[in-house]
Amino acid sequence: MTVEHTGVDVVVVGGGIAGASAAANLAFNGLSVVLLEKQETYQDIVRGEWIAPWGLREAQTLGVEEAFGLGGAWEIREWTQWDETVDPAEAETVDMTRFVPGVGGPMSFPHHEVCALMAEQAEDNGATVVMGAQRAHVTAGTHPEVRWTHAGQEHLARPRLVIGATGRGCTVGRQVGVSMATSVHHWGGGLRVTGLDDWPMDVQAMGTEDEKMFMVFPQGDGNARLYINFPTANRKLYQGPEGEKRFIADFELASLPDRGKAVYSAAKPIGPLKLWPSVAMFPEQPIVMDGVVLVGDEAGNADTVLGTGLSCSLRDTRAVCEVLTGGDDWSPGAFEGYLAERKFRMDRLHFGADIIAKLYCEYGPAAAERRRRARGLMAENFAASVTGLLNMVPPEDVPDFGFSEFFAERLFRERA
Amino acid sequence: MSVKDTLLTGSAHVNGIDIAYVDKGEGDPVVLLHGFPDSHYLWRHQIDPLVEAGFRVIAPDLRGFGESGKPQEVEAYDMRTIVNDVVALTQHLGIPKAHIVGHDWGAAIAWMYAFLMPRRVDHLAVLSVGHPGVFSTPSIEQRKASWYMLFYQFPGVSEQLLRRNGWRLFKEIMGGEGDHQRYPRELAKPGALTAALNWYRANRSPESELRVEANFPPVLAPTLGIWSTGDKALLEEGMTGSVKFVKGSWRYERVEDASHWIPLDQPEIVTKLLLGFLGTEKAAAVPTRRRRL
Repeated sequence: MTVEHTGVDVVVVGGGIAGASAAANLAFNGLSVVLLEKQETYQDIVRGEWIAPWGLREAQTLGVEEAFGLGGAWEIREWTQWDETVDPAEAETVDMTRFVPGVGGPMSFPHHEVCALMAEQAEDNGATVVMGAQRAHVTAGTHPEVRWTHAGQEHLARPRLVIGATGRGCTVGRQVGVSMATSVHHWGGGLRVTGLDDWPMDVQAMGTEDEKMFMVFPQGDGNARLYINFPTANRKLYQGPEGEKRFIADFELASLPDRGKAVYSAAKPIGPLKLWPSVAMFPEQPIVMDGVVLVGDEAGNADTVLGTGLSCSLRDTRAVCEVLTGGDDWSPGAFEGYLAERKFRMDRLHFGADIIAKLYCEYGPAAAERRRRARGLMAENFAASVTGLLNMVPPEDVPDFGFSEFFAERLFRERA
Repeated sequence: MSVKDTLLTGSAHVNGIDIAYVDKGEGDPVVLLHGFPDSHYLWRHQIDPLVEAGFRVIAPDLRGFGESGKPQEVEAYDMRTIVNDVVALTQHLGIPKAHIVGHDWGAAIAWMYAFLMPRRVDHLAVLSVGHPGVFSTPSIEQRKASWYMLFYQFPGVSEQLLRRNGWRLFKEIMGGEGDHQRYPRELAKPGALTAALNWYRANRSPESELRVEANFPPVLAPTLGIWSTGDKALLEEGMTGSVKFVKGSWRYERVEDASHWIPLDQPEIVTKLLLGFLGTEKAAAVPTRRRRL
C-alpha cells in the first residue's frame, strides 16, 4: 500500500545546500513542504565546502546563514596565490573581507554538517524532512507527482510544484527529460584534514606547480579542506590503497613557504578522499516546465575550479523561493526572471571558469610561461585580475570587459 | 533529528526563575556547578561515576545557560542572586547540606556559597578559579590569543560582533577548547548569548567580583583546589594563594595535559580526585562565640 501525502505545496528532491535552503525558506513562509534526502544521515561525501561572499549574502536573504556558522563554517580573510614561477615570499595576498557589504570573507565549512543544520531548520519551520528517501521519481505536468520509498514503504505526493535539487547526478532532470551537454577540462580530488596547527587559519592557498593545481581552505581549529586539480591523464594517481597518503604528500611544494611542511607533514585525514572529473554541465532543455523547477548543480554548473557552485545554488534557491512565496502564479511563465538571470549568470561563470582553468589548471612549461605573463599583466594593471572577482561579488557586478574575447585574447596572447 | 546534549531530569521554579537540573542517585548530595559557557553537560563524565560511588548528584543549568531561565537584563546576574538560586534549588530538593563542586564561574559561585553559608556546605571542591580574595592576573605575555579574552573583552563585546561572519570572533576566542563546537549552537538559542554575556556584564570576572570586599568570612569546609597547567586564563597562584582564606583543611592538585576545561580534558582524574576527597575530612569548627568589638 502506498502512503499518500496530501495538501503538499512543494516537494524538494535532494537535501543538499540548494534543496535544504529552499525547504527552510519555503516552510518558514508557511508553505507545506516535503524535503527528500537519500542519505540516512548526512555524511562527508566531499561536496563543495567553499562559499563566496556573494553566496553568503544569498544565504542571508534566504534566512539560512546561521546554519553555516553553527555548522562549523570559518570565515577566511586572505587569499594567497602561489605559483612555481614565483618565490613563496613574493606571492601576493588579497584581503577578501571587503567585497560585499554586510558580509565578511568567504567561508569554508564541513558541507554535511551545514546541510544537517539546514534540514533541521527546515523541520523546525514545519517542513517534513525524509532522510533515507530512496528511488525518488518525479513526473512533470500541471499536476506533478513524486513517488519515493522510505523504510520499505511506498510514498506518493501530488504537490503543486517539485524542486529538483539532486546535484550533479541530475536525477530529477533525467526523469523529466532534461539532458546535459558536458565538458571535462581536468580532474580534481578533495580531502578534509586536521592537524594544520602551523598553517595560518586566515589564509587560503591556491597555486599551480608541476602537474597540480592545489588549494588549502582552512576551516578553523587546524582543520582544512584540501583540493588538488590535475590533468585527466593523471586520474589514477590517487586511486587505490594509500591514495590519501600520496594526496597529502603532494602538498610538498616548492612554491609554498617551507615547502608546504605545515600541510604535508601535519595533515591527518578526517574524511574520505574523493576524485572526480571537473565537469561543466549545460542543460539542453529548459530547466523549468509545468510542475518542475531545477536548481543548483542539477540545473547546470560551471567547472568546480571556480568555486561558485554553492553560491549559484543559493542564488537559484533565492530566486525560486521569491516566486513561490511572492504570488499564486507558479506556472513556468512566473520563472522567466529566474531563467534569464541564470542564463546571464552561467554564461559569465562558464567564461570565467574557462579562463581560470586555462590559466591555473594546465600544466607544463608552456602553461607556466602563460601564467608568468598573465601575472606580469596583472601586476601592471590590476584590472587584468577581473576574473578573480567572480569568487567575491555576484557575476552581474563584475565589469563587462572581463567577459570579452578581447580581454581573454590579451590575457593569453603569446607576445606582449 | 539532532542529538540533544542533555541529561536533565527535572526543572523547578525557585528564586523567581526556572532552573533545570540533573538529580540522580541516592546518598550524600553533591552539587556540580558549571561555568561559562557550559551547562550541566560539562559534568557528563563525572555524574554517573559519582552516582555509582553512592552520591546523589545535583547538576543545575545555572541561570542564563542551558534549559534554565534567561533573563535579558544585566541586574539579574548578580553573584548573590545566582548563589541564592543554588540555595533555593537545594532547599526545593530537600537538601540542607551538600558537597559543593564548581568550575570556572561555577567555582566563583561555590566559593561565595561556602563562605556565606558555611552550614549548608559539606566539602568544597573548586576547579580553575581560586578564591576571589587572591589577586592574581596573568601578565599580557602569559595570555595567549585565546579564551582569556572572555574575561577581559566580553564586558565590552557586543552580541552582534561575536556572531557576525559565522561566529568568527567567538570561534577565534574559544579556539579548539572545551565543547567549542557545541557552544555556538547553544548560544544561538533565543536570548542565550545575551544571558551568557550578562554574567560578565554584571560581575566583571569571577575573580575580581568580590575584591572590593576586603574582609571575607573564612571558608570552614574542607576544600580541594584543582588547577590545570593548560589554563590560558588563570594562574596557579590564584588557586594556591586561596589557602589563606580556607580555615578548613586544604588540598591542592595540579592537573597536567588539560586546558581550562579540566572535567572534559581529564575526566577520569577529576572523578578520581572528587571521589578521593568528598566526605573524607572534617570541617573546621563553626565559630560560636560572638567576637568582641
